[in-house]
Amino acid sequence: MRVVTGVVGNDIHVVANRLIEISLKERGFEVFNLGVNTYLEEFIDAVIETDANLLLISSLNGEAEGWSRDLLFLKQRFDLDGVLFAIGGNLSVGEASQEDIVPKYKAYGYDLVFHQIDLNEGLDKIEETLKLREERQ
Amino acid sequence: MFQQERYIITNTPYTESFDFDEIEEFITKADKNLFISYKFKHSDKILVQPRGGFPTYDKVFKLYEEFVNAGVDVLPLTIDSNTRLNDYEMAKKMLILSEESDENMLNGYPLVTHGYRTTRKMVTHYNTPISLRHGTPDARLLIEVALASGIFEIEGGPITYLLPYSKNFPLDKAFLYWKYVERLCAKYSKLNEPINRESFGPLSATLQPPAIVIVIQLLEMLLSLEEGVKSFSVSFSQTGSISQDIISSNVIKRLARKYADKFGHNDASIHLVYHQWMGAFPRNKEFSDALINTSTVIASMVRADKIITKTRDEAFGIPTPEVNASAVRNTQYTLNILKGIPNISDEEEEENLTTMVEDILEAVFNDPADTLWRQIFNSIKKGIIDIPFSPHIINAGEAITVRDKNYNIRFYKRGNIPINNKCLAYERSKIDLGGRSLVENIIHDIGIML
Repeated sequence: MRVVTGVVGNDIHVVANRLIEISLKERGFEVFNLGVNTYLEEFIDAVIETDANLLLISSLNGEAEGWSRDLLFLKQRFDLDGVLFAIGGNLSVGEASQEDIVPKYKAYGYDLVFHQIDLNEGLDKIEETLKLREERQ
Repeated sequence: MFQQERYIITNTPYTESFDFDEIEEFITKADKNLFISYKFKHSDKILVQPRGGFPTYDKVFKLYEEFVNAGVDVLPLTIDSNTRLNDYEMAKKMLILSEESDENMLNGYPLVTHGYRTTRKMVTHYNTPISLRHGTPDARLLIEVALASGIFEIEGGPITYLLPYSKNFPLDKAFLYWKYVERLCAKYSKLNEPINRESFGPLSATLQPPAIVIVIQLLEMLLSLEEGVKSFSVSFSQTGSISQDIISSNVIKRLARKYADKFGHNDASIHLVYHQWMGAFPRNKEFSDALINTSTVIASMVRADKIITKTRDEAFGIPTPEVNASAVRNTQYTLNILKGIPNISDEEEEENLTTMVEDILEAVFNDPADTLWRQIFNSIKKGIIDIPFSPHIINAGEAITVRDKNYNIRFYKRGNIPINNKCLAYERSKIDLGGRSLVENIIHDIGIML
């Protein structure tokens, strides 16, 4: 499985990004890590370039919402039906509940949304979803 | 050529005009007390230096007053982030806003905007050495202003101010911009006491392996000395293990002298700077005080020449001048009562660390490029030098480190760093993941002081 990952927007928090990369590698993924300060368009370009199965965007400073508004448009523009879109981290600037955050991000075009969820729990869920998708095909 | 470049660099709409003759005269006649290199020579104690900077002249003036009353040895001048990124327009706007209200609209002192004529008044008033703390890849104009102001210690370097701070500022450019800085420091060093250059050893301050820290310290030292700098400080920050700090200190001191001499810089003086814990701080302020105290004890044990302090408010943001000064007072008191520190060494560990450092250095020096900076540049590109947790795209990020049970930072994976099999086996033999995943271990290891 190929995965593109990175931190969206003007967000330089590198520690979590590295931990995600190490965890994904430990789980056997082929990882393309775009690192911190990455724009949405760069993620999409990398997904196409690497023919990735999964795009996993993370955010720590809470700015991800502003950067996600064009996702549906970009997804339609480049036939990305086979790709699983996931986002995780701290997904709002102020305090916000799961109930508010998850539907909002799903509406932007993410299949899986992890707001302040433990890294391993999130990755388990991602692997489960990928497996289900594979079985369906 | 160099002088021509200086005219171009200093001739900007953001600075007053530079009077180079007057600046040379000022430095030639400057009081020796402004030079940390002079203080290193004539002091037998560990010099204490905090961090700090505010947007306005008045607030920095007040901050310095607090520090001096607390018995500071070296004053800091921390520069704001706009100036670090050469955005002088924004720095100017935010300085005006900070002057109009009581709010600090910048996270440091916009030195270029204030200019050298103004800043020099404050510097000469306190007549204490000042250390410039920034994080600027292109610091050419900033250092021109700093030296003209009477700030005679310059922190940073092309590697240590880039890999931990930037995602894509071109590393080759950083080397060339810093070459200018070194030349300028060397030029002014001939006029009076030498200007001291200091490298930034803490790097990304997250599980940094001592071998890589030392390699980078030695390389920045050599880059500086080859341009004519005569006084240089290597540095590292508290690792979390007392024994690893002592071993690092023994090895870096020995190798710094060895390589300075080997490259023909026998006349350069080399110093050691120790940073109090640079990782995540506890939110409990009593714990922070205890941590700062422990750091001070270790600074004495590693026989540092200077210690850079933290404050009990570290977890909460920029400290007030009072809180900042109290850390200076605390550190000075602790240093004063620490007498009879034993000499400690660990032959096996020192040999292991020395071998790793020298193997990496050899790989750098064996690169076919024609200049040292190009050899280093290529080595970083190839992952021969690789730091954990760097945001920069040129950094390989393949090496992985974890702590052993005594909190020593060990290589778990070497990536492309030329660590020999024997050393890697030694490092790995100390690691016990305790049945938890690698990432769980790393998360624990980052947060040991919380």
